[in-house]
Amino acid sequence: MSAPSANALDRVQSGLAALNPKSIAARDGMPAFEIEAEQVREACRLLRDACGFETNTFVTAIDHFPAEPRFELFWQFLSVQHNDRVRLSARVTGAHPHVASIGDLYPGTQYSERECYDMFGVVFDGHTSHAGGLKRLLMPEGYDHFPLRKDFPHQGIEPDKLYNAWFQRRFERHEREHADV
Amino acid sequence: MGSLKPVDEATTQEGFLATRVDELINWGRKNSLWPMPLGLSCCGIELMAMIGPKFDLARFGAEAARFSPRQCDLMVVAGTLTWKMAEAARVIYDQMPDPKWVIAMGVCSSSGGMYDSYSVVQGVDMILPVDVYVPGCPPRPDAVIDAIIKLQRKIEREQPLKARLSGANLDHGIGSKAFVRAPNHSVPTRGSHAVLPPGELAP
Repeated sequence: MSAPSANALDRVQSGLAALNPKSIAARDGMPAFEIEAEQVREACRLLRDACGFETNTFVTAIDHFPAEPRFELFWQFLSVQHNDRVRLSARVTGAHPHVASIGDLYPGTQYSERECYDMFGVVFDGHTSHAGGLKRLLMPEGYDHFPLRKDFPHQGIEPDKLYNAWFQRRFERHEREHADV
Repeated sequence: MGSLKPVDEATTQEGFLATRVDELINWGRKNSLWPMPLGLSCCGIELMAMIGPKFDLARFGAEAARFSPRQCDLMVVAGTLTWKMAEAARVIYDQMPDPKWVIAMGVCSSSGGMYDSYSVVQGVDMILPVDVYVPGCPPRPDAVIDAIIKLQRKIEREQPLKARLSGANLDHGIGSKAFVRAPNHSVPTRGSHAVLPPGELAP
């Protein structure tokens, strides 16, 4: 990773000055800022409109279980016109982890937000990729747990539950339909 | 083809006609296995090599791979079966007409393999009745050909006519309570899921 780009730092510090972001010395040298979870939407809007970051590359999280606030969320942005990147982070609590969706500002984040919800259970308020709101991406619909949380056992919690329920429903339907045979 | 019993023994035990017809049916079945290639990961590549000209599965009469379960009687589960995919695999199995057999190709489908994980079925025998297991990651095509030869030996021992005459329930599909014929008890299962005893439905 290249040395921190003063250019990106300056742009973000002037663009987000109203939100008073806390600059973080990131180990990979990328300009990084921590903000309040409530300000994420406004910060992302400013990054797009005032700082020239037109692309979001990912949304993800780190689970700091059992510390609180438990989840550290990350948004990483790329500016194609300036050829530099910036990272935003925000902390949310473990009881009801939720943050505003930026899917309408950066349409490419829809899948990242769905994956983040699927793996960590972080709810993105106002997510619009489906009529019903946030849907799981990789795990089957109806699964109750979030696999990348630190308190999730790697062998899973009832991994066969959905399959068995499906099989049972299917078997009962078959017996109903062939009751006269 | 196959082990022929002495006529005396065959006549006294099951009747000459039944044993001869069984021999004929089994001879036809074992030499014309039509595989349903369920290639789920890297094992699928070895499966393609096996069916292709170099390893030439046609020597054993099983080269006619069809991608429609309706035309197949041998399901080769080649690769990592996830719980999300398990429903599809079970539907494909149920769509195959009887008689049908299953080969679990590779350690993933035999026991979960290195994927000791929440998303992977720890052995396809949790959802399908498996006839032959093939170890390897992935197994060489030779090993799977060996499994097909072993399956042919197994088919030789079946008694299709006797089963039909005795009125046994031949339906191993969705209506069969015995949906797991041979659970792989030799593989220890961990976590919250357990292998069901034969003939018992999932709770």
